Amino acid sequence: MARQPDNKANPKVSSDDSELIRELALLLDETSLTEIEIEREGLRVRVARNISIAAAIPSAPAPATVAAGPVAAAAGAPAPDFVNHPGVVPSPMVGTAYWAPEPGAKPFIEVGVKVTAGQTLLIIEAMKTMNQIPSPRAGTVTQILVDDGQPVEFGEPLVIIE
Amino acid sequence: MFDKILIANRGEIALRILRACKELGISTVAVHSTADDDAMHVRLADESVCIGPPPSKDSYLNVPALLAACEITGADAVHPGYGFLSENARFAEILAEHNLHFIGPKAQHIRLMGDKIEAKKTAKRLGIPVVPGSDGAVGPDEDAMTIARTIGFPVLVKAAAGGGGRGMKVAHTEADLALALTTAANEARSAFGDASVYLEKYLQKPRHIEIQVLGDGRGGAIHLGERDCSLQRRHQKVWEEGPSPALDAAARKKIGLTVAKAMQELKYLGVGTVEFLYEDGEFYFIEMNTRIQVEHPVTEMITDIDLVLEQIRIAAGGDLPITQDEVAINGHAIECRVNAENPVTFRPSPGKIQQYHPPGGLGVRIDSAVYQGYVIPPYYDSLVGKLIVHGKTRAECLMRLRRALDEMVVDGIETTLPLFRALVREPAIIDGDYHIHWLEQYLAGQQPG
Repeated sequence: MARQPDNKANPKVSSDDSELIRELALLLDETSLTEIEIEREGLRVRVARNISIAAAIPSAPAPATVAAGPVAAAAGAPAPDFVNHPGVVPSPMVGTAYWAPEPGAKPFIEVGVKVTAGQTLLIIEAMKTMNQIPSPRAGTVTQILVDDGQPVEFGEPLVIIE
Repeated sequence: MFDKILIANRGEIALRILRACKELGISTVAVHSTADDDAMHVRLADESVCIGPPPSKDSYLNVPALLAACEITGADAVHPGYGFLSENARFAEILAEHNLHFIGPKAQHIRLMGDKIEAKKTAKRLGIPVVPGSDGAVGPDEDAMTIARTIGFPVLVKAAAGGGGRGMKVAHTEADLALALTTAANEARSAFGDASVYLEKYLQKPRHIEIQVLGDGRGGAIHLGERDCSLQRRHQKVWEEGPSPALDAAARKKIGLTVAKAMQELKYLGVGTVEFLYEDGEFYFIEMNTRIQVEHPVTEMITDIDLVLEQIRIAAGGDLPITQDEVAINGHAIECRVNAENPVTFRPSPGKIQQYHPPGGLGVRIDSAVYQGYVIPPYYDSLVGKLIVHGKTRAECLMRLRRALDEMVVDGIETTLPLFRALVREPAIIDGDYHIHWLEQYLAGQQPG
């Protein structure tokens, strides 16, 4: 599954917390501290100034970064595992999946329709070329696992045909 | 500076690149085949994209998949590591056409040094000493014999499109030449798609000494000293060390400055290594590698410069980190390439690492992506990891290496650790008295000459 970076608009950061972070960042700027860490009531906040490498990188100094809590290695809740589902159609390539041949057109398939072997299920676009993804077998579409416009990786479950 | 780097490689070098990216605050994208789903760098990267099934041609060499992965992740630069596409000039050009940065030398220099005949001509033009040989590809046998006689037997027949130790045949006497020529040409045609061969003097007992360079692409270039990589098996480096036990400060300075000056003239960009054979006090250019090399940690340990980090900074338009006068070589470093192979037969031994304990302590570094429970896949190279040890002197370094090797545990697969434990106790190795044929002679049980 292509892991995505954590959504920056983290709903868990309350307005109190963002006020605190703002204050800490200001404090960093005003003093010569490079890092401030605070922990209270289950929340730990660390505000750090990006230290540039001694041999000058020719760019503006980076703004203070904010890390809230431990860094998660995987983003989002674990999804049900379709990789080994007997009806899975995995992606044969890397690219962006689209439901329809072009924007605004009717999607190739929807849940519940019957398809024949070779019938186009989706398009995966990579570098401006559109690749039609054929169904490997005849059957009924029971699940469509990707959103319209979702990036997909090799082997990623696209559709379940049973 | 780049926002997001896609690491177009696997194994220990992918982890190495990831570390430099993280230290620079750059987001990382790990691309991998299905066989590398559980790779350490895939776990540590900010994002990962599976790009294909296990075979390299369908994954790590799959340019469309790599480009698509850049597209869906928004990566703005690609680090190719070593091997795979790292010295593929066309790949560098394709990335440029897609407004992506290739972290490496200019495509024209990759191409130049990839053709071994052109590379040698260029080296000669730039004042780098070369091995006496034919001035270009050799044609019909009569030309070759005349040239060979001028060079003096024994001669080496080399593939122009080869490199990395492949595509070479020795002709010891005049009687051997015809066969060596046809065999080399046939092998070259099937391995590299190009049957062109050239001739070089065959040196009897040279050492392999290479110079690390760093260029800013605008005419600034420095050398970072040498590595002695004479201990090889089938032209694959096994043990590398720096400084070379065979060079003194004067010899080092002379060849270093010659090479640095050549790189300045070329306006070379990024890291590179100029490789020489060294015999009887003379250097002979063999080839230049336009990429980061496996054994780069040896140089890092003695110069305290992070070469991968500098690669990235320089590719983003940065300056050289120091001047030539500021380059300081401190102490001694040795690297052992630990492979998943039987230490006697060298048969590959992929499989699950049941127990893993890397050595530690002052001056001990492990560049490896394995961990306890990791399964080494059978599809790629057999490198388990690199053990690099530093000491204030070569003697201290050897003692530390002996200790570190004895402490290291990799169980569940066969590894070449026993070979290194034997080598570190060998008198010739302890004396630093070896050459490029030494290891194979040792392995064959002969007394090395």
